Amino acid sequence: MLGENRLRNALLTLAGLAVLAAFMFLVDRLAAADDPIRGIVKFRGALTLFAIWGVAAVSLNLINGTLGILSLGHHGFMLIGGYTTGLLILSEQARSRILLSARSQMTEGTLGLSVSNGLSALGLDFLTTPETLWVRFLIAVLLGGFAAAFAGMLVGIPSLRLRGDYLAIVTFGFGEIIRLSASTRLFSPLTNGALGFPGLPQEFGKGALWTFGFLVLTVFVLARLKYSSYGRAMEGIREDEVAAEAMGINLAYHKVLGFVFSAFFAGIAGGLWVSWLGGVRLDFFLFQLTFFFLVALSAGGTGSITGVLLGTALVVFIRQYGDPLEQSYSVATWLLILAVALFIAAAGLFVYRLTRRLRPRVHAGIFVFVGVGLLALVISLVDPGFIAGAFRGFGMRAIFLSVLLVVIMVFRPEGVTGRAEFSWAWLFRERRDRPTDEERAQDAWLTNPDLTRRLEVAGGKAEAGTGEGADGDA
Amino acid sequence: MLEIRNVTKNFGGIQAIGDLSIDLNEGEIVAVIGPNGAGKTTLFNLITGVYRPDSGEVRFEGRSLVGLSPNRIVERGVARTFQNLRLFTNLSVLDNVLIPQHHRLRAIWPSAVLRTRGYRRKEMAMHDLALEKLSFFGPRLMSFRLYQPVSVLSYANRRRAEIARAMATGARLLLLDEPSAGMNPKETAEITQIIRRMRDEGGYTILLVEHKMNLVGEISDRVVVLDYGRKIAEGAYQDVVNDPKVVEAYLGRRAEEGTSGGKPDGAGGEA
Repeated sequence: MLGENRLRNALLTLAGLAVLAAFMFLVDRLAAADDPIRGIVKFRGALTLFAIWGVAAVSLNLINGTLGILSLGHHGFMLIGGYTTGLLILSEQARSRILLSARSQMTEGTLGLSVSNGLSALGLDFLTTPETLWVRFLIAVLLGGFAAAFAGMLVGIPSLRLRGDYLAIVTFGFGEIIRLSASTRLFSPLTNGALGFPGLPQEFGKGALWTFGFLVLTVFVLARLKYSSYGRAMEGIREDEVAAEAMGINLAYHKVLGFVFSAFFAGIAGGLWVSWLGGVRLDFFLFQLTFFFLVALSAGGTGSITGVLLGTALVVFIRQYGDPLEQSYSVATWLLILAVALFIAAAGLFVYRLTRRLRPRVHAGIFVFVGVGLLALVISLVDPGFIAGAFRGFGMRAIFLSVLLVVIMVFRPEGVTGRAEFSWAWLFRERRDRPTDEERAQDAWLTNPDLTRRLEVAGGKAEAGTGEGADGDA
Repeated sequence: MLEIRNVTKNFGGIQAIGDLSIDLNEGEIVAVIGPNGAGKTTLFNLITGVYRPDSGEVRFEGRSLVGLSPNRIVERGVARTFQNLRLFTNLSVLDNVLIPQHHRLRAIWPSAVLRTRGYRRKEMAMHDLALEKLSFFGPRLMSFRLYQPVSVLSYANRRRAEIARAMATGARLLLLDEPSAGMNPKETAEITQIIRRMRDEGGYTILLVEHKMNLVGEISDRVVVLDYGRKIAEGAYQDVVNDPKVVEAYLGRRAEEGTSGGKPDGAGGEA
C-alpha cells in the first residue's frame, strides 16, 4: 500500500537531483569563466535569488500553509539569520576597516566575534585558511538559523493565545520590532547601526550549486515534516483548531514547533541573502521581503511546496528580467503594448467562457477589449506622431506582477497548484482516490442494495424506493 | 467509569447546567435526551474540557478531569464527536483517522523527519489501526474513499468518518453528539447496529445525545432526560418516556398547550 513504486520514485528523484546538480554546476562554471557568455551572470543571479527566496518562501509556507497561521514577520527571522551570518564570516580586512571608521558603532569585542576566531579558540586552526571559507560559512549559516529559530520560539509563544487577524498583526509587529531594534544603541555594537557592514563573500549566495543545495535541503526537510505525523497534526490545526484539540493534538507544542522550523530555515535564507547581496544593511530586510513571499504563496498555492516554488519563480523572474518593462519608449510603442495586452485579455476571456460553457460565449467585455485594442493599434500604427513624446514605465514590473496576481486570484483563488503537490504518482496519473469499476459497483450496492436489486430485476416498481438513495456516489 | 457530580455551569445569568449528576459504568450505552437548549451539548463540552464547570466534579476512572485542556482529556481516554461535524474537511479520510492517533505517537520529530525504522513501524501501526476503526463501517469508507478528501463525502459518510476518528484516539469512553443526524431511516438503523457493535466488539463505553427516539430506545441501557440544564428523569427507556415530567418537557402542559415546542416522543425521523 505504501511501498508501490517506491524504488521507481526514489530512482527518479535521484536522477532529477543529479540533472539539477549538473545543470547548476554548469551554470557556476560558465558564469565563473574569464569571458562568460552574455547574460549568464545575470541568469545565475536570478537562479540563485530564486533558490534563496525559495528557501524563505517554503519555510513561510510551513506557518501560513501547513499550520494555517498568517505570519507577516518573516523578514525579522531572515534579518536575524542574515546579521548573524554576516557578522560571523566578515573578513579581517572588513573588520579592521570598520574598527578604524569614525562612524562605526561596533566595538573591538563585537568585532572579534567570528567563526574563525571561534575555531582558533577550539584549536582547529586548519579550518581558518581562505580555502576553508566554505566550512566557516556553513557554520555561520547554521548558527544564523539557530538564532532565528530561537526568535521563532519567542514569536510562537504569543501565537498560542491569539487567532486569525490578531495573530497576523502580532507577527508583523514582531518582525518590525526585530528590524527596528537592530538599529538601536543596544544592538548597534553587533549590527553597526544603520550602516551595516559591507564586504561579505559572495561566492556562496551567488553560487548556484550552493543555494540550490540549501533549497533542496529545505524542501526535503519540510516535505518530510509535512508528510509525517507531525505535519498531519499541523494540517489538522489548520483545518479546525477546536477539532484538532478535541482529537488530542497539543496545539501549543505544534504551533511553536512550526514557528521554530520555519524561523530556522528563514534564518538560513537570511544568511544566503546577505551573501547574495555581499553585505548587511537594515534596508535589505524590509517588510517588502515578506510581502514578496506572500505573493509567491498566494500565486502559487498556499500549502503546497510545489506551488510556492512556482510562485517564487514568477516573482523572482519578473523582478530580475522585467527591466525592459521599465525602460523609456515612445507613446506609440506603449499603445502597441496596450493593444496586444487587450487582445490577449479578450482571447483569454473567450477561452475562459468556452471552457466553463458560459453563455453567451462572446461576452460584451470581449467587444470592449477588442474595440479599445483596435483603437490603440490604429493610432500607434497609422499616426505614431499623434501623441508625441516618450514615457518611462517606472514601476511597470510591480504593476505587471500585480495584474498577474489579480488574474490568478480571480480565476484560480487557491493559486496555481492549490494544495496539491508534485509527485511522481501524480505525473504518472496514479490516483488512489478514483474507484475501479468493481469498486464503483460495490459502492453503489452498499449505498442502496434494494435499489440495485430492483434495477437488476428490471425495475417494475422502481419509483417506490428511490427516495432512500440519499447516500449518493460523490 | 465516568462520574459527574453536582456540576453547574452558567453563561451570564443563564444556567446551562444545574446541579447535574450522572454516573456511567463501564460497557454501558447511556443516552442523554431533552428538548432543544436543554444543555446536552454543554454537558459534552464540560466533560471534554471545552468549558470548565463553575462547580462540581467530573471524574473519569477515579481521576478528576476538571481544569484539564481538551487534548489532555483525550489522552486520559475520553473522545467526542461533534453535532455539526468538525472533520478536517480538506484532508483525506485516512488522514482524518490518522491525526487522532498522533498524541499516542511516541516518536520525537527528528525521527519523523529522518523516517527512522522505529518511526516507520509506528506509522504502519497507525495505518493498521485506522483501517481497523474504519472497517467498523463496512467497506464503504475503505479502498478508494480512504484517499478522497472528506469534503466530497456524503453527509452520512462524514458522520461515520467522525465516529471512526473519535475511536482512533484510543479513548475508552466515547461521547457521540447526535450520531444519526442527517441520516435516512435505513442508515439510522445501520448506525444503531454499529454503536452496539462498538460496545460489544470494541469495548467502548458510550454516552450519546440523540433526538431519534427509536435509536435511543433500541440501544440505550439507560436514558437521562435533561430540561433547562437539570436532570428530570433517569432510567430505562420505557419508564422514562412515560414519565409525566418528560412528556411535559417535550410537549408542554395541557393548560398551556401550544406555547412550548418540541418533538413528540417516539417520532422517528428528523430532517
